[in-house]
Amino acid sequence: MSFSFDENTETTIKARSAASGISIGPALVIKAGSQKISPTAITESEIEAHKEKFCSARASLVKELEKMSGGLQDKSTAEIIEAQQQIIEDPEIKRTVFEIVEKKLLSVDFAVYETFSSFIEQLKESGSELFRQRIIDLEDIRDRYVSKVCDHATELKVPEGAILVASKISPTELVNYYEEGAGGLVLEKGGITSHAVIIAKSLGIPCLINADNATKVVSSNEMVILDADKGGLILDPSDEVLKEYAEKLKGAQVSVKADRAAGFETKDGFPFKLMANVEFEAELPRVSEMKAQGIGLLRTESLLFGKKLRKDVEDQEAFYTAMLENSEGPVTIRLFDIGGDKNARRPYKEANPFLGWRGIRLLLDEKKLLRSQLKAILTIAGKYTGRVKLLIPMISVVDEIDQVRDEIEKMQGALLSSGTPIDEDLPIGIMVEVPSVALSAFHFAKKVDFLSIGSNDLTQYTLAVDRGNEKIHTLFQHYHPAVLKLIKMTVKGAEKAGANVSVCGELSGDEIGAACLMGFGINELSMVPNSLPAIYDLLSSRNKKDFDELAEKAVDLSSSEELEQFFREWKDQTA
Amino acid sequence: MIKEKVTIKNSAGLHARPSAQLVKLASKFKSDFYIHSYGYRVNGKSILGVMTLAAESGAELELELEGPDEEEALKAIKEAIENKFGMDEE
Repeated sequence: MSFSFDENTETTIKARSAASGISIGPALVIKAGSQKISPTAITESEIEAHKEKFCSARASLVKELEKMSGGLQDKSTAEIIEAQQQIIEDPEIKRTVFEIVEKKLLSVDFAVYETFSSFIEQLKESGSELFRQRIIDLEDIRDRYVSKVCDHATELKVPEGAILVASKISPTELVNYYEEGAGGLVLEKGGITSHAVIIAKSLGIPCLINADNATKVVSSNEMVILDADKGGLILDPSDEVLKEYAEKLKGAQVSVKADRAAGFETKDGFPFKLMANVEFEAELPRVSEMKAQGIGLLRTESLLFGKKLRKDVEDQEAFYTAMLENSEGPVTIRLFDIGGDKNARRPYKEANPFLGWRGIRLLLDEKKLLRSQLKAILTIAGKYTGRVKLLIPMISVVDEIDQVRDEIEKMQGALLSSGTPIDEDLPIGIMVEVPSVALSAFHFAKKVDFLSIGSNDLTQYTLAVDRGNEKIHTLFQHYHPAVLKLIKMTVKGAEKAGANVSVCGELSGDEIGAACLMGFGINELSMVPNSLPAIYDLLSSRNKKDFDELAEKAVDLSSSEELEQFFREWKDQTA
Repeated sequence: MIKEKVTIKNSAGLHARPSAQLVKLASKFKSDFYIHSYGYRVNGKSILGVMTLAAESGAELELELEGPDEEEALKAIKEAIENKFGMDEE
């Protein structure tokens, strides 16, 4: 018996595959914060536990705020944070929530939602202009509160191999669940390159997106099969189906361990490097399992947004040390790339966050935060001489490089005079995400040692498509010929300036992308560890000349579809 | 328990910043603090409560305090309201 997921049935849900693989396990349905929460009845014996959940959620929200205000200096930000704290600790919120839990015997998530919503309604009804702007803040705090009290990963037991079913999920939540034993992810929303999906790939767990109504149809603890190879979820499978899938799983596990003793070079001996993109320590075992030659991109935002906020210099140093100790080869550390879709906890709302205050733009305003990170990275670079590289995100004009370099030099001087060794030859690079950098690559490249192409953002800015928006997900085409053309220009400019070029976006882990990049002469590709075996197989089984020919043709094509077709023919011919 | 009437003098009313200051000040005292206004009664130590009052400039509020330091608290709160919470916005 074989399944097709052409449409939804009583026992199957059709979805889009975002990270391949198969997983069998009990479902764990996660209620999302921003959705309307419906009341769930509790028993009297559960009252205390629910009250406690509220108190610990409140304490951790306050703690996060306090940590956050530590890194921000200006007075108006401090005031906003103080106002948020007052709301979080509001005694009337606590009183009303407890009343709903104790007297109405309803769950704490609903109690919090209801309490905030009724205040928000009152404010709206008052018709007063005084607090109109505050309503958005209140809704934001409400949602954060609700997702805190719903934080099952710490409160509830995650059954081994659980398949998470959620509307959406944050990367940190996902890692927490993964560490507790989750083995699959099904999302109602989310684009193929949304942050959580990238992390799922990196952790090596199968993932489905666009699974309509999944959180309503699936119930927790029900046995399900997640088939991300075919793009669907099977509910309540028969013994026969379970057996069939269990056998498939066995076969799949063997084929993952590809033998790669041959060395990293093309058929005709042209060398290449395959590196891993990493964000959490939990990912490191997969990095070595997949034989990556280093960490091509170490994201550091988890230090700011994670459960454990670790912004102090010492805490950061501990994080970087763990990464260096538990990996081999170079580690490219990217400065905090906050903003865009990673600003959930910033006190500001922006109309266009992806075009707004993010990456280096934010860091150059928040010097205290920038300096603390530079201090930690430069100290570690001095300890592990020759292994650390520094990467600056979201550069759009040349002047930003000068400003950061100035900060780096000052910090290096300060470290030296305090007797801390530094790496004098620390390579400094910038992300190529904004088309302006690709178009004028030479002028940017001559100021740095390397360029790292962030293909996800470069695609989003070139094709004007929000990568998290599922309505337009088909427009997000990272190997669109226009994007490839920009990459080709980048390589040209960098060559002239004598800077190295690497790629650290999803494009590297895609067969079409990796093949074209090789053709452009980029031989350092960083990707989610799970993509490594397939890319290795492709790159090591062809000649450099084949890739050159493919790339040359690719930039002249009119669409991604044309390229897909051309690639298939190319692959057959060169096999 | 003591009660006293006051009038909001800030020209923009009891908006975000003065509300925050009022709550912050009141929370320093042990006494319970309630505000009566046009038939409503809200907890003066609750920022959300004070916000729902939506007290415009000239609004009359009745302050109600009860507890060991009620006199002291009333004096401090009255003073802050009289001084427009130190905001020279006008």
